[in-house]
Amino acid sequence: MGSKTRGRIVSALLAYVVVIISLIFFILPMLWIIYTSFRTQPSIFTGNVISPLEEYTLDNYQTILSVTDFVTFFWNSFKIGVTVTLLSLLCSVIAAYALSRFDIKGKNALIMGVFSTQMFPQVLLIIPMYLVIFNLFLLDTVIGVVLGQLILVLPFQVWMLKGYFDNIPIDLDEAARIDGCNIAQRLFYIVLPIAAPGIMVAAFFSFVVSWGDFLIVSIISQSQRTATLTLIIQRLSSALLIRWGQVAAATVLTIVPTIILFSFVQSRLVAGLTAGAVKE
Amino acid sequence: MKERHKGLLLLVPTLAIMAIFTLYPLLDGLRMAFTNENLLRHTSKFVGLANFVRLLDDEVFWISLYHSVILTTVVVLLQFVLGLILAWAMSQDLPGMSAFKSIIMASWVIPVAATVIMFKFMAQPDVGLINIIFRLIGLEELNRYWFGDPDVAFIFIILLHLWRNVPFYGIAFLAAMQAVPKSYYEAAEIDGANAWDRFRFITLPGIRSMIIVMVTIHVLWTFNNFDFVFLATGGGPVNATDVLPVYVYRQSWNSYTVGYAASIGTIMLIMLMIYFIIYIKIYERQEVA
Repeated sequence: MGSKTRGRIVSALLAYVVVIISLIFFILPMLWIIYTSFRTQPSIFTGNVISPLEEYTLDNYQTILSVTDFVTFFWNSFKIGVTVTLLSLLCSVIAAYALSRFDIKGKNALIMGVFSTQMFPQVLLIIPMYLVIFNLFLLDTVIGVVLGQLILVLPFQVWMLKGYFDNIPIDLDEAARIDGCNIAQRLFYIVLPIAAPGIMVAAFFSFVVSWGDFLIVSIISQSQRTATLTLIIQRLSSALLIRWGQVAAATVLTIVPTIILFSFVQSRLVAGLTAGAVKE
Repeated sequence: MKERHKGLLLLVPTLAIMAIFTLYPLLDGLRMAFTNENLLRHTSKFVGLANFVRLLDDEVFWISLYHSVILTTVVVLLQFVLGLILAWAMSQDLPGMSAFKSIIMASWVIPVAATVIMFKFMAQPDVGLINIIFRLIGLEELNRYWFGDPDVAFIFIILLHLWRNVPFYGIAFLAAMQAVPKSYYEAAEIDGANAWDRFRFITLPGIRSMIIVMVTIHVLWTFNNFDFVFLATGGGPVNATDVLPVYVYRQSWNSYTVGYAASIGTIMLIMLMIYFIIYIKIYERQEVA
């Protein structure tokens, strides 16, 4: 056996060691919470890994869905997530298109300015933001939460989509322009179809950020009208007596939508997210 | 209307939202840092540097500052190294690897609140998975609530950050590695370069721009991150995990002393700006070289 083959075998073994450790660290916690969601409180409290078959149950899900207002909160999260996604896409697609295609004075400074907002501490911004939303009478409204969350996604989305558009040859736009297409036609018929994978990732990004947001909701939401899943699972898990089976079921239901969406965009996720970083 | 003006028009919605909900709040926040503004009072007055003077003697502020700097440094450094290792493993063409790649980033997409619950549950005394495993391997005396122990809670906060972001680093580095032309490696192999040399002189420079973006953005995100600590420990036990964002949040929404909170936020901003300026200086110098 040559040293080259031996080297390959050693690399393969090492790579599998990394894979196994990663699976244990990154995947096991998710499997464990799913597993827990099907166990009864007494069987969780035995501290055993395996319980007798009759101790597995769907009761946790039934309780969470019927006894609590979980469905309302789920619907709030969904409403807010979809609105944030649509509004942020609308704004960021045209902004990124402008920054990618037009010769705008001070463009680089503008891009730098948008990007540098990532530096601003959100905990500082939310104090005056709370007062702005209060003065607009939007406290505890869906639109108030949406406006607050928009600033979490817009800068990154603009930066990412601009990178994505930059990689689409400008000749295509030029040809369409000569053929008499206006800006909207060029954007909708030429750029958007090619950029569709990037836009999907941008949409996914904003939905996931909105769905997972705790900070903004925690100050703008004041009641059941706007409370989202992150607030509720946080409350359930810091109760005096924690029903871990039910907390696990609520957590699983919170995770599932993001995982489903993830499975659709998974293969394109990184290329999309890092488009701003990689210039071809 | 000129094309250029139409281009500007397309920026209006984004810039308007950012002006009202980012720029104005930032400026107003900086103004508040010099007042005694309190959410429970209707009036406030200018107090000069009083908030900043008070900071000098505020022990919790200094502890939080120290934790924030350590946390950001350790987390980003570990994420970078572990991300590289993960990317290397995933770049091996082996059976099962593509399935592994397709699931490993799941941790990045689930809400932080859910992540925290998963880890809090695993860290429970007696019934949590961590303690169950320790019991199975005969280390029963380690049994404890891991987020409740001042000596290890901070390490668990680091673990939460790693859990969420290392796969993202790994996948991003992998994508960058695959863009490095194969011919470079072949040429190096002919020249007799060993694996380590190939990594140092071809892979690392090849993924340099990705490294820079990932590290920069995560320094900002980690330093400003609020929810991991707030949700996992609230800064406790006894300030063992307090970081600046959580302290600002408590000052604003538990004590309502938003003027004081804003002064801490201002210090955070200044620190990140210093980081940003140093980073740009280094970046520019390297570009020239």
